[in-house]
Amino acid sequence: MNNWFSPKRVTWMHRVNPAIKFLVFIGLFIIILFTHRLDFILYQFLGYAALLFLSSGYTLRKLMLMTLPFIFIFVSSSMTMILFGKGETLWWSWGLFRITEESFFRGIHIGFKTLSCAATGLLFALTTRPTLLFYAMMQQLRLPPKYAYAFMASFRMLPMLWEELQIRQQALAVRGVRSAHSIRGWKERLLNYAVPLLAQSIRRAQRVAVAMESKRFAAQSSTATRTYYYKTSVTSRDGFFLVIILVMVAVAFVASHEIPLFNVGDVRG
Amino acid sequence: MVVQGKLRLKFSDILITILLALVFGVIYKLWGSVYDVFKPLFFQADELVYGMWFIAATVAFLLIRKPGVALLAELAAAHVSLLFGAEWGIQLFLYGLIQGLCAEIIFALFRYRSYSAGTAALAGLAVALGSMGVDYVYGYIADYEPWMFFVKYGLRCVSGVVITGLFAYYLVRALEATGVTNLVRPVSKSEYDALNK
Repeated sequence: MNNWFSPKRVTWMHRVNPAIKFLVFIGLFIIILFTHRLDFILYQFLGYAALLFLSSGYTLRKLMLMTLPFIFIFVSSSMTMILFGKGETLWWSWGLFRITEESFFRGIHIGFKTLSCAATGLLFALTTRPTLLFYAMMQQLRLPPKYAYAFMASFRMLPMLWEELQIRQQALAVRGVRSAHSIRGWKERLLNYAVPLLAQSIRRAQRVAVAMESKRFAAQSSTATRTYYYKTSVTSRDGFFLVIILVMVAVAFVASHEIPLFNVGDVRG
Repeated sequence: MVVQGKLRLKFSDILITILLALVFGVIYKLWGSVYDVFKPLFFQADELVYGMWFIAATVAFLLIRKPGVALLAELAAAHVSLLFGAEWGIQLFLYGLIQGLCAEIIFALFRYRSYSAGTAALAGLAVALGSMGVDYVYGYIADYEPWMFFVKYGLRCVSGVVITGLFAYYLVRALEATGVTNLVRPVSKSEYDALNK
């Protein structure tokens, strides 16, 4: 669809079974969620970032561009905790702002958590074709076809949605519709766009659904009788992928104990 | 009679729900500028528009009126933002799952038969509280200064009630006027009775 988002080279990460990759990444997220030591999350983030830069197959320039928002999400996710978190050792205070040692480290810990999620999420998005993900989910995870095909069909309608949005924008501009910069104005603006876009989408989705059902896309049959256009399978490559991920997390864990950079322990109050 | 199993999700229900989540994704991108309008007003004011994140769940339920669509809408929204590279990553899944379940609980309490503004508002509140639960594990919110905690999550709850609840209700009312709701809602018994007259 979009040439900019095609990788320079296809790496092993692209060839991992998408459903397995999905499960492993959800597992990584659970590890990130329950990491409460700053050093561990820091090393985890370095590992995920390394994986992103080395195995996504995109040029360095594009990856730098795509990771630029990371600075913003790091700041926005850590700032509230840094400025307004509980803590004993006061570093600086001004009015309601109180930066303490504890709140500062807890803040950047949350920042690194968010960065870790963002890096894994970006790696997943860059190396997974949505269509193959749903085919693999049907074949390896037994996702009912009606859900998988509904997802795939709705993605295909996204360009139409953009087009309709532009038409709506132009139509409103031609009629000289302007809404005020107030809460009421925003509500009016939102309704002006949401109602026609939603109504049209519902009509189209309903028609497409009827057509797809008549072609038995949603038929609930056992996988033994159903055939798939794209065949996905689990191979030794997926074992290799799992080992790499496990080794990476283990190295991060050991490193956080052997060469801690912050050495602040559990960030919870 | 045909009424048996009428609450099962049909293929068209699933497709419409997922597409709804997508449309709200697009609208949210467009509406993102509202965030910037709110931000300078006062700190944490962006929490007030937070309810827009959850709105697909209530709109999908009020529209289709079947169990499971609210959860599906939230999961679809999370999925779409993951696959199409929102800057927030894989954590959206957990938020989507918990938020969707919270909305489902409220609708289930009314046995999926109440479609009033009050129910929608309650579901909006539940979704906001659900997101707070995830924040508790993810963002250590119990370690905020107490006043900050109440300001931040108070605003989020207000947003849940007003945007996710009431606004979704009025949006669906506006959609009813276009007639599309007749396409998607299960046929009620009274309509069958009308045929037999």
